[in-house]
Amino acid sequence: MIADAPTLEAPVGAHRAALTRLLAGRADVGEALSAALARLDARWSAEETEVWASGALGLVHANAGGRCLAAYFRLSASAREQEAAALAADARGAAEVARHAGSAAALAVLEAMPAALLRLPDAGARAFWWRGLVRLAREASDGVAPLAAHAHAVLAAGGGPAFESFVAAGLRATGGSRARRTAFFALEDPAARRLLERAGGALGFEDLERRLKLFGRALWGVAPRLAGLEGAGLAPAPQRASIAGELIRLPHVYRGVPPARVPPLYRAALAHAQAHLVFGRRQKVGKIRPLQIAMTGLIEDARVEALAIRRFPGLRALWTPWHEARPGDAMTAPMLMARLARALLDPDYEDPDGFVEKGRRLFAEADGRLDDPLLSRAIGGLLGNDIGQMRLRFDLKAYVVEPLYRDDNLALWEFDEPPDERADEIEQAVDAARPTPEERDDGRPSDEAPEPEAGRARPVSADERGPVVAVYPEWDRAAGAERPGWTTVRDAPAPHGDAAALEAALQRRHGFSERIARLVKGARIGKAARLRRQPEGFDLDLDAAVDAAIALRTGDLPDERIHRASGKRARDVATVILLDISESTRDRVGGATVLEIETLAVAALARAMEAAGDAFAVRAFASCGRDDVRLFRLKDFADRFDRDAMARLAGLRSGLSTRLGAALRHAGAEVEAVRAHRKLVIALTDGEPSDIDVADPLDLVEDARRATLSLRRRGVDVFGVTLGGAPSGAVFGRANTIPVKKLEELPARVSELYFRLARL
Amino acid sequence: MTVDASAHLAAELIRDEPYYRPVGDEIDLFAAAYAGRLPVMLKGPTGCGKTRFVEHMAWRLKRPLVTVAAHEDLTAADLAGRFLLAPEGTVWHDGPLTAAVRLGAICYLDEIVEARQDTTVVIHPLTDARRALPLDKKGELVPAHPDFQLTISYNPGYQSAVKDLKESTKQRFVAIEFDYPEPAIEAEIVMREAGVAAALAGGLVDVGLRSRNLRGDGLAEGASTRMLIHAAKLVRGGAPLDAALRSAILLPITDEPDLREALAAAIAASLPEAARL
Repeated sequence: MIADAPTLEAPVGAHRAALTRLLAGRADVGEALSAALARLDARWSAEETEVWASGALGLVHANAGGRCLAAYFRLSASAREQEAAALAADARGAAEVARHAGSAAALAVLEAMPAALLRLPDAGARAFWWRGLVRLAREASDGVAPLAAHAHAVLAAGGGPAFESFVAAGLRATGGSRARRTAFFALEDPAARRLLERAGGALGFEDLERRLKLFGRALWGVAPRLAGLEGAGLAPAPQRASIAGELIRLPHVYRGVPPARVPPLYRAALAHAQAHLVFGRRQKVGKIRPLQIAMTGLIEDARVEALAIRRFPGLRALWTPWHEARPGDAMTAPMLMARLARALLDPDYEDPDGFVEKGRRLFAEADGRLDDPLLSRAIGGLLGNDIGQMRLRFDLKAYVVEPLYRDDNLALWEFDEPPDERADEIEQAVDAARPTPEERDDGRPSDEAPEPEAGRARPVSADERGPVVAVYPEWDRAAGAERPGWTTVRDAPAPHGDAAALEAALQRRHGFSERIARLVKGARIGKAARLRRQPEGFDLDLDAAVDAAIALRTGDLPDERIHRASGKRARDVATVILLDISESTRDRVGGATVLEIETLAVAALARAMEAAGDAFAVRAFASCGRDDVRLFRLKDFADRFDRDAMARLAGLRSGLSTRLGAALRHAGAEVEAVRAHRKLVIALTDGEPSDIDVADPLDLVEDARRATLSLRRRGVDVFGVTLGGAPSGAVFGRANTIPVKKLEELPARVSELYFRLARL
Repeated sequence: MTVDASAHLAAELIRDEPYYRPVGDEIDLFAAAYAGRLPVMLKGPTGCGKTRFVEHMAWRLKRPLVTVAAHEDLTAADLAGRFLLAPEGTVWHDGPLTAAVRLGAICYLDEIVEARQDTTVVIHPLTDARRALPLDKKGELVPAHPDFQLTISYNPGYQSAVKDLKESTKQRFVAIEFDYPEPAIEAEIVMREAGVAAALAGGLVDVGLRSRNLRGDGLAEGASTRMLIHAAKLVRGGAPLDAALRSAILLPITDEPDLREALAAAIAASLPEAARL
């Protein structure tokens, strides 16, 4: 204990005295301290000031530095109606940040506090803030300063809880890469911005992407190429879809739409964009006024929609609910145009306005030649003139296509030279039109620094990272194709741990192992077969019956087993148990870490399978980039599950990331090589694949899902036992996902698993 | 002693023309194969009219038809025959295949891959130059009647690799490929089979196309012509269109929620009145 830090029993005023004594003569902080004390004395009792001073002392002892202290004193002085305890907690948090991430980081945090406090109304909300920052300081100190600088944006998404979960998600998503982390917490990483946009829990493009692709493909026979739409820089993501070449880009979220209407809205947007792609054609801009550009777009929208409705009449009902413009609306050019858009789509809509009437009439007269793309320009030009003569103000820059589901219509035009105000948007559109970023051509993700040896033909050699066991493809979600030879699985030595301790822990769970053993033994896994010559059954076994009758007549003793029955033959099952031992298995679930639960569960399960005589192998995995998916062989098919295997199981430590797809592929390949009627892979994981070289964890989720599907097609059943966290059927399918929240639930879940097996 | 199979088989002679709408040259092909007594394999997705086609051809060729639906418990004895007991002793009873061989019928083995591979081997001597069926239990070699012909159906789509025909079995057959017919023809079939108006039949066929677009992307098979006919019959029986589509197509075809939602939306889009699915 530091000599001049007073203890709690010290008389009131001791902390304050120590603080002033320590900082006496410090020119950089003295002034701020006296100013703060003057303000606080006016507001608080001596006891309260003392609480505050004890917190400030902590900051002094953390060597936070003069600028930090001054910032804290300024914060204390300016804070209104603050409780002393809350301010003291701030000091403790800042001290903790300073200790782990340095005084510059602590300073950045303290300077962000005044603005942040607007979003952190009470001590509870502030606790989230500090928990997030302290965790970040401990685990990735270089992320603190960028996050502090953007704290307002993160807090705006959902206050303290959103802030803390943003930190957790950022740490998980960026793995060990410093550059990625800085980009993430500075909100330069698109994944970070998406996370914020969806902090409210709204359904977004990612959630609906598969359904949309299926919908689009069901309609037109080809799967649409879809991508999420990013905002430029820190700007919020655009709220209108955008088409570039064949690529349809949809907003990541449509803000302010009630959840139930989100899926239909995305479908409406997709159907509209597809109508453009099927029926539209690009046109030269040439000499045309802004209003005419907008009107031509509006007529073109109506034209392609009319054609699409001819093909799929139900689309009208998908689109009309989004048209809400009414005759009573204000007379502005955009409003009038929205009314015309509605009138052209919805035959039941009545509008007395002459302009709307004229538009409707012109469009109806053109009914016979709707498939002419130049029609939109002709009608749009006329109507654009009309609006111009009505002297309604119109600003193309501020104009937004209505209603919400329609796209920005940028794809309609071939600009001779891009008009300035839209130049960057067009550039973006052109970027997006390229099938994939150029770097992908040689099979390298674009966000990775070029490595000389990267690429498909890169020799995969044994190095200090362990011998290469196998190489597997990985699913590229953006390109919708497999990247061959993408991941490398390496053998990692499994260190021995304390088998006795694991054994003891197993013993302590009284009845747990016994229940699992009973369940595994009793499971009816085996080939369904009709059994002939049975003593009882649902049907006569004709051949046996005839034999018996012959025996009777010839005076022999007949065999009474003359029935047929159906049953399961001897169990014939091979299993690979796969443990996720990534960093996230360090998380605690009800008092134990995920890894502890996993090892206990596997120990009990393996023991039971060993007793039942089933063939099985146990593998653990963790990854550090696609080149290094480490596989720990705890038990091979040929080995017994003995004390050595227990020791290896006990020796597992959490660390690195979760490249689930590669591990599943490998486990599947191993179990496939075994001769058995039923082949299983049981993966125990926290269900959140991620790796340091993958920006968007959803990529790995999709890859793991693909791996599961392909194994299932080859006759290997894959089950996911997900521990802790939210159970998600995304990887294993809902029926094959077995969520376990507590170790005690495991026997019940195992019985479910075997029940499903017996049924399949 | 042999049970006379002819009386039994006379009942299998098809008297009324089964409705079949030809799509391509399949009738001529089958007739040519029959003229050469070549075994035929009908390949195609479920519910596209394979079985109906065989019935139609049997009627057209005026041959009795013996149909056996294969299943995994089908034994060689179930096909060829076995000894049964009678008061005076054991009596041989021809199986459906043997009966067809003796009598000169067309024997149609539906979904042959469902049977175990060792069962399938029983047809081998019938499908090459020997054209005979050995009954080893009885010690008889039954030469095939000159009119006998073997036809099997086979849906390569949904069977797993485990259930595939042996190479030695496959190569004995000439194959005729079936698929769902062109929309106009399929609409005609739905109209005729379910007795509904052309507009409804056309709409249902369009629904079928939506689902077939998803073949291979979640759906193993799109909605079959048979499913469309079922939906049409439900509507004809008084069910509202949306309920009929839901019961006859959407619910049977998939259990995956994403897929069901997407398909429901696509179906709703292709129907005039927004059917709530």
